[in-house]
Amino acid sequence: MTRLQRVLCIAPLAALLYGQQFKFHLEGLAAKASNAVDVSLGSGTLKFAARFLDSSDPDEAAVKKMINGLDGIYIKTFEFKRDGMWSESDLEDIRAQLRTPEWERIVGYKSTEEGENDEIWMRTENKKVSGVAIICSAPKRLTVVNIAGAVDLDALAELGGHFGVPALEKAPGKKAP
Amino acid sequence: MDWLEQELREALNRKDPAPDFAERVRWNLRVQEHRPAHGLQFWLATAAAFVIVAGAGGMGYRQHQGEVARQQVMQAFRIAGSNLNHIQAQVREVRR
Repeated sequence: MTRLQRVLCIAPLAALLYGQQFKFHLEGLAAKASNAVDVSLGSGTLKFAARFLDSSDPDEAAVKKMINGLDGIYIKTFEFKRDGMWSESDLEDIRAQLRTPEWERIVGYKSTEEGENDEIWMRTENKKVSGVAIICSAPKRLTVVNIAGAVDLDALAELGGHFGVPALEKAPGKKAP
Repeated sequence: MDWLEQELREALNRKDPAPDFAERVRWNLRVQEHRPAHGLQFWLATAAAFVIVAGAGGMGYRQHQGEVARQQVMQAFRIAGSNLNHIQAQVREVRR
């Protein structure tokens, strides 16, 4: 393979990962998982998709509103049939990338009983939110999310409520819709 | 023989063709053989039909791509939103 061919092969991948704020390096888990979802949506795809979202549908209208200001959404989620198919070392590389001044862990939840470990990290630039990372892990389940751009967590949480999950408690001082 | 009979005789009298007559006939035959089967209008109509079909196909493909992108975006927000809710529900449970 010539140098030009290598560049031509790598260029689309590099373009796709450009908006991603940290690398997942979880490709090896896909083969072990019973279910795996891999979503990589760059800014262009988000803008393109926004034109096809139905504004008369409440969920789609909310998503359409949230897409403005986002640079990309990158998700990997795995479900396993047995425990021990993934290890903490798989997540350590991600956490190492998040241990920078821009990133701050805003929520951490650990249950030794259920073996669950959840984290929400927020990235800020010039006192403005520029990204969010969500890591949800359980013995048979692992999800890593990176939303790049100006994320409105309240709106995202409200959306979670719309999708059939109970709506979140509002922060003190904020009125429920 | 009156003048009419004389003129008829001259008009109907056998005359040899011009020396280049055979060559001109062959040339005309060659021209007809090489003339395109369809005229300009046929090709213009064909091109217009092709453009219309290609345009409609392109629009259909773009619509399909948009629908796929829409579904991917909704799936992404569904996963992100439900995980965020799950974490905050766990935290809320601990606080109680």
